[in-house]
Amino acid sequence: MAISAQVLRPADRAVGLTVVVLWLLLALFVIYPLLMMLSVAFLDGGKPTIAPLIAVLAKPSHRAALLNSLLLGGLVGLFGTALGFLFAFTVARGNLPPRWVRVIDAATLLPLISPPFTTSISFIFSFGPRGLITHDLLGFKGTNVYGLTSTLAAEVLTYFPIAYLTLRPVLSGISGNLEEMAFSLGSRRLHVFRTVTLPLAIPGLANAVLLLFAASLADFATPLILAGNVLPVLPTEAYLQITGLFDLRGGAILSVMLLVPAAIVYLLQRSWVARGHFVTVTGKAGPQSSIRSVTPTARLWLSLACAAVALFILYLYSLLVFASLVSAFGADHTWTLRHYQVIFTEGRKAIVDTLIIALIGMPLGGLYGVLVGYLIARGPAGGRQAMEIVSMINYALPGTIVGIAYLIAFNDPPIALTGTALIIIACYVFRYSPAGIRTTIALMQQIDKSLEEASRSLGARSAATFRRVTLPLVMPAFLAGVGVVFIRSMTAISATIFLVSIGWTLITVRILENMTELSLGPAAAFSVFVIAIVMAVMALLNALLRQLPTATGEQMQWGLGGG
Amino acid sequence: MNPLAIRLDHVSAQFQHRLKGVIAAVHDVSMEVQPGELLTLLGPSGCGKTTTLRMIAGFHEPTAGRILIGDRDVTLVEANDRGIGFVFQNYALFPHLTVFENVAYGLRVQRHDSSHIASAVSEVLSLVGLVGYEPQMPHQLSGGEQQRVALARAIVIRPSVLLFDEPLSNLDAKLRVHMRGEIRSLQKKLGITTVYVTHDQEEAMAISDRIAVMNRGEIAQIGDAEQLYRRPASVFVARFIGHANLLPATVVSVGAAGVEIDIVGERRVLGEPQSGLQPSQPVTAVIRPEALVISDAAKAKSGVPGHVKSCAYLGDKCEYDVELAGIAVQVTKANPMPSDRLAPATAVRVQLPADGIHVLPEA
Repeated sequence: MAISAQVLRPADRAVGLTVVVLWLLLALFVIYPLLMMLSVAFLDGGKPTIAPLIAVLAKPSHRAALLNSLLLGGLVGLFGTALGFLFAFTVARGNLPPRWVRVIDAATLLPLISPPFTTSISFIFSFGPRGLITHDLLGFKGTNVYGLTSTLAAEVLTYFPIAYLTLRPVLSGISGNLEEMAFSLGSRRLHVFRTVTLPLAIPGLANAVLLLFAASLADFATPLILAGNVLPVLPTEAYLQITGLFDLRGGAILSVMLLVPAAIVYLLQRSWVARGHFVTVTGKAGPQSSIRSVTPTARLWLSLACAAVALFILYLYSLLVFASLVSAFGADHTWTLRHYQVIFTEGRKAIVDTLIIALIGMPLGGLYGVLVGYLIARGPAGGRQAMEIVSMINYALPGTIVGIAYLIAFNDPPIALTGTALIIIACYVFRYSPAGIRTTIALMQQIDKSLEEASRSLGARSAATFRRVTLPLVMPAFLAGVGVVFIRSMTAISATIFLVSIGWTLITVRILENMTELSLGPAAAFSVFVIAIVMAVMALLNALLRQLPTATGEQMQWGLGGG
Repeated sequence: MNPLAIRLDHVSAQFQHRLKGVIAAVHDVSMEVQPGELLTLLGPSGCGKTTTLRMIAGFHEPTAGRILIGDRDVTLVEANDRGIGFVFQNYALFPHLTVFENVAYGLRVQRHDSSHIASAVSEVLSLVGLVGYEPQMPHQLSGGEQQRVALARAIVIRPSVLLFDEPLSNLDAKLRVHMRGEIRSLQKKLGITTVYVTHDQEEAMAISDRIAVMNRGEIAQIGDAEQLYRRPASVFVARFIGHANLLPATVVSVGAAGVEIDIVGERRVLGEPQSGLQPSQPVTAVIRPEALVISDAAKAKSGVPGHVKSCAYLGDKCEYDVELAGIAVQVTKANPMPSDRLAPATAVRVQLPADGIHVLPEA
């Protein structure tokens, strides 16, 4: 029934109270920091001004940073989408044996759960001055790995899995019958691909390009390591402005410049892609297409191309493990556990801090995601959409903006949180819970309202209903939320690099410090450690998910995105 | 527990619709369900029957009027405090709980001790024929079994009122007929006052003590199945319950013996009491297809002449579309034999027995 009438009963006071508390939290940790940052950027003695913006734009290096960011984002969008399409098409149309699909899935999952600069570190190991390929294999002397090419390649390898995950359901959703019909009309395979498959995939392709563009725009770690001096981009410039020159306003303005293209991409994605989505999924499973969309030869080439990329990714990660286990990569390849000893002694504080922060953030983020998702799906009618939008802001914004905004907002009284663990935990909870929120909303849409009504008719109050019925049913969403918050707490850096302190530091920040000090061994060991922990926790959560009475046997789709 | 009556007193429910503004889903409904009675709310979709049921349950608050269960005004009482049992169209079984825990849910919420819960659950499970199903999960059950669990879950808390929202619409036709018999006999055995919502008139007639036919948020007629079928109060009810031939007629005279009408050129004296009719008033005559008697014109002398337009053989009966004095009517012939089948275009005569005619003052 297309009727929306929800009367707030007296016994729903608990719900009302939750709404108020959540709005207060959203106001404090999402809206307030953003407003504070904008006021630092655009207010001078209480008056609006654009003079600082003009001053920032006047510096050639800043203009270059803006252009470089857009260029890099555009290229990553195009190449990453192409690579993602190659993988998605091969999996969707290549009739690969399931085992190969699992290998491809594993290879594409690795970059998504690694600290964001893992690929960059491996690139240096591989193509740097003492790189395995450039120096040892090809014998180049004094190669320069830093610049656009390597940054682009590393970002493409890091982010193309997002395109793959976006495009695979799109391509699988295009019914083979459509292609079959085009064949029956006499088209040749390539012609069918060009006139049927590709046009139908265009909304998905556009979506993938936009997602990758946004991810690259927000990426902080890769350019910091690989871009060198030749390729300044906005996130790194903003970071240097603040940490190097202690210029909060300049940093704020540079990050606001990042906001403009990010917002444009977001709006484009919402309006254009959503509107142009072709529905070819009819729910009626067509019979398995008897005509193959690709010739056996083409299939072989596609598989080989995917295998090459997957192998290259695995090579990069093996290199990381190798570098963590040898004395000095590129010079002395004697086996040693010294680097692990270093990270568990000198690096111990970072590991403990990170784990404490992640372990506190996990349940908070999971609970926050479920509560917000529940209220967006079922809460009192007014303000649901507003809550949905506000709760997504910190997730949609590049991490640099969020970090600088938190730094500005919580540095001084009334709310001085700088130097505490709380500021980092809050940053993670409000930035990485949207995965849990989304999953909760999706689950709630599948849970019929009559379940809650049944519980009420059997005598349960709304609190008891939530505890006994709703909560167990949204448990998968809770676990997803918990998982994503944990993974991101272990791997993120772009926002929290502004928030670490002497009291509280993070593994990712230590990796970065190691990289700048050229202690590559400990950096590699830290990375391997993080990846191992993340994989172990994911395996644990997936095992828990399978134990749930409502388990569907499907693997969880972890919410993903840049660091 | 003694069965309680349900009373609706000028109850209305308005909704704010996004496009259409304020719409009245239920308008000024008053009715009383007797203790132990099974009353069905019957009507087309959107007639307000489900909203009425949900207001009795406490899932919707009426915008006007009062609802009483027994002597207690429950208009503002929460659903969890009304002592109702509700059976949902989609069963609404808790997917994360076993059959036992689904049925035990209401008792657990009321904090009964576990020995009482165990015995009460096994008692109702044997009542619905599901002994041995306790450890199963809902998704392992068939539709009919899920329906029984939903029923057991609703009655285990010994509700004073049992409410059903189209409980059989997800079952296949054969099972539907079987389950409605089970529901009815269980309801009689427990003697619980019951309100049952359906859009299936056959189901309503089979299961109910009384039926309230609803249309556009109002009650069009309340009565038992026979009253509704034989003496519908309006053209809507006549059309909604079974198939009705509606023929124009005119009142000739109103006398002690009954009302005499003129219908397609024939005079009939109707024995049924009918008040407020005036001579020469135009009326609508309701005649059920099976009340008309059809015969081959070559063999019959009396009856209104017409001809067969089409014929559908349904095994237990034949359905004829007949043109009668320029009006299309439907006639059914029970137990049709090959010898008396009438082919299309056959000239026929149709008799209109007076006791099969019911007149409505609507023209």
